[in-house]
Amino acid sequence: MGSIPLGLLWQNLRRHWLRTGLTMASIVVAVFLVCFLRTLIVALNAGIEASANNRLWVQSAVSLFVDLPLSYQPRIASVPGVEETCKFQWFQGTYIEPSNFFAQFGVDAAALERMYPEMRLVEGSFAAFVANDQGCLTGSATAQRFGWKVGDVIELEGTIFPRPDRTPWTMRLEAIYDADNPNFDKTMFFFHHNYLQRALESGEALGNQGVGTYVVRIAPGADATTVMAGIDELYENGPQRVQTTTEAEFNRQFVSMLGNIPTFLRSIGGGVAFAILLAALNTMLMAGRERTRDFGIMKAIGFRDSTAFGLLLGESLLVCGIAGAIGLALYVGSAPVVATAISRMFPGYRATPETIATGAALALGVGLLAGIIPAWQAGRLRPVEALRQEG
Amino acid sequence: MAVVPFEYNLRSLFVRRSSTLLTVIGIGATVAVLAGVLALQQGFARLFSETGRDDVAIFLRPGSSSEGESGFTREHAETLMKSTPEIARDEAGQPLASGELYVAVRLRKNDGGETNVPVRGVQDLSFAIRGEQFRIVEGARFKPGTDEVIVGKSLAMRIPHAQIGDVIVLNLTPFRVVGHFESDGPFTSEMWGDLDRMTEALQRDGCSRVIAKLVDGADVAELRERLENDKVSPAKVQTERQYLTAQTIALSAILITLGGFLGFVMGIAAVFTGINSMLSAISARTSEIGVLLSIGFRPWSIFVAFLLESVLLGLLGGVVGCLMALPLNGVRTGTTNFQTFTEVAFAFRITSDVLVPAVVFALVLGVLGGLWPAWRASRMRPTEALRRA
Repeated sequence: MGSIPLGLLWQNLRRHWLRTGLTMASIVVAVFLVCFLRTLIVALNAGIEASANNRLWVQSAVSLFVDLPLSYQPRIASVPGVEETCKFQWFQGTYIEPSNFFAQFGVDAAALERMYPEMRLVEGSFAAFVANDQGCLTGSATAQRFGWKVGDVIELEGTIFPRPDRTPWTMRLEAIYDADNPNFDKTMFFFHHNYLQRALESGEALGNQGVGTYVVRIAPGADATTVMAGIDELYENGPQRVQTTTEAEFNRQFVSMLGNIPTFLRSIGGGVAFAILLAALNTMLMAGRERTRDFGIMKAIGFRDSTAFGLLLGESLLVCGIAGAIGLALYVGSAPVVATAISRMFPGYRATPETIATGAALALGVGLLAGIIPAWQAGRLRPVEALRQEG
Repeated sequence: MAVVPFEYNLRSLFVRRSSTLLTVIGIGATVAVLAGVLALQQGFARLFSETGRDDVAIFLRPGSSSEGESGFTREHAETLMKSTPEIARDEAGQPLASGELYVAVRLRKNDGGETNVPVRGVQDLSFAIRGEQFRIVEGARFKPGTDEVIVGKSLAMRIPHAQIGDVIVLNLTPFRVVGHFESDGPFTSEMWGDLDRMTEALQRDGCSRVIAKLVDGADVAELRERLENDKVSPAKVQTERQYLTAQTIALSAILITLGGFLGFVMGIAAVFTGINSMLSAISARTSEIGVLLSIGFRPWSIFVAFLLESVLLGLLGGVVGCLMALPLNGVRTGTTNFQTFTEVAFAFRITSDVLVPAVVFALVLGVLGGLWPAWRASRMRPTEALRRA
């Protein structure tokens, strides 16, 4: 193929700067949107990515919403290979308004630090959290969201565990954690299971006395499969069968609850890509039609067919390539802001190299497809006919 | 004022048909995405709210917002059923009320994954309250006090061992499937059995909620007020319609936000495409505009004519988008109801609440895409426009 006059390519782009600009803007939007949607899907799986392989979760084999008796904990702890256990009781209190939702767990405060080495305290201390029976510990995302500082008193209204006298559950914030792993959930809120248990026993609060899940840390070198089987065997014959899973598997069940939502997001992404391909194709066809006369002249004075082909294809690739780069820059640049805005539903939102590659492939793919038809037409043009046509 | 004949615009759309087609399909794809999201929301929301009844009351524990969170002891439930005068009674003088247990039970799906299946323990009068809303389509109802269950039709398609005669184990107790049922509401995703047998098998105490048929003209607002502050047996009372509508708020809000966001962002791109298409149409017809202006058409008429042409493009795009979304109607899907974390099966529904916003959206895209090019066309000077030919 003969060399393509780059100067001419550039002139062509500028000739209809407005149209080129509008087309590029559409592609920018599309690349951004497709990357955004893909990141949402990836973020849904963030919990699985952040899973530790030395933690196991014990839950009722019957239902996630059925509590296990408190008497299970010492027996689980005695299974060979189990190093430590910690209660995890879903609380679902309301902070001022139901829309302020964040995940709250009643836990064994003393076990928490060793259970989650990922947590790095940025304010307060584990010791203070453990020492205060009515203390709580939360992630940096939740603290930031409500502007909490260590020492703040937080009042939660019970939903699963209401208090008949209508007083709120009252806790003092003792520490705030952060984590280096970007996929680690920074919205969790922990408090003493003891505080809950005491209130339920004394009748200050209503609700089942039990624990939804126990989290288990296994000893280094212990075989997870053997430990899981050992725990499940304990209650094979009831009263409430248990199911022990790895943390990744435990988190996966919540993702699978979303059913068809990932498929749905993917179809939307497909729709966006399709719409944008049509827009780019439209522009390039217009460009091709306008240049008919130019190409006629070029061919008449001796340029090859491949030069015309290359000019149009190059223009299409250049437009889509530049627009794609801007779209990707927008995606990467906006990621921190978007992540904060949707942290409640998609805590793991962040720009990843795979998504950037997808966006780039989309832009160049559209450029190639949109350019090839008009380029092929231009290549086949007969100079005489082209010149006969009115500009 | 002379108006440019509409036929002129129609013909010009036809003359540049490849460009028209691409623009229309592009707008169509945008509209179809919006319509698809709205159809999902409609399918989900209508499943709940359309079937809720105003003459059936739901009693929950104060503070809870769904039956998954709620719970009553048996004594508490009995007190509510017996001592609420607003509850209707049957011929035998029995209150038409029933305690119901609701547990999301983990079961295998046909495709190998696991799902949370809503299992409901009901008392005999539940059926009397439901009346025509609830129909056995195959087999029979379970016999009270036995380990028998009936399975909703949508659920029976999605989990194994749900055919009549099969056995499903809940915790440790085997239950025999004796019937399949259908109902107008979300119940078709559920499994029903005897309240007492379910409570025992699932190791639960009491029940989750109480449902009751209300006497004609019962004042629900007054009842709610009274029971909320009741010292002996407090409860949160709602009509079934209110309850079911509240159940859809979270997912509906997510879907409407998602649809709005996608519509906005994709709309921007579609407007740019529309502007492009109109600009190229106008530049190709510069001399025609010159002629129109020189034979006496006012710039205002030119502006209206080209704006109309763009709106027409939008309208065509809207129609194409709705047609693209139409095959979705009736497609069954499942998602989690975030209020109870159980799986609900429902179908996409294309309703007027989907089509009207979709078409209006397409028209807005047409207007936005046409305003500026039409203004540019109207400002051309006849002499220059003619010279450029």
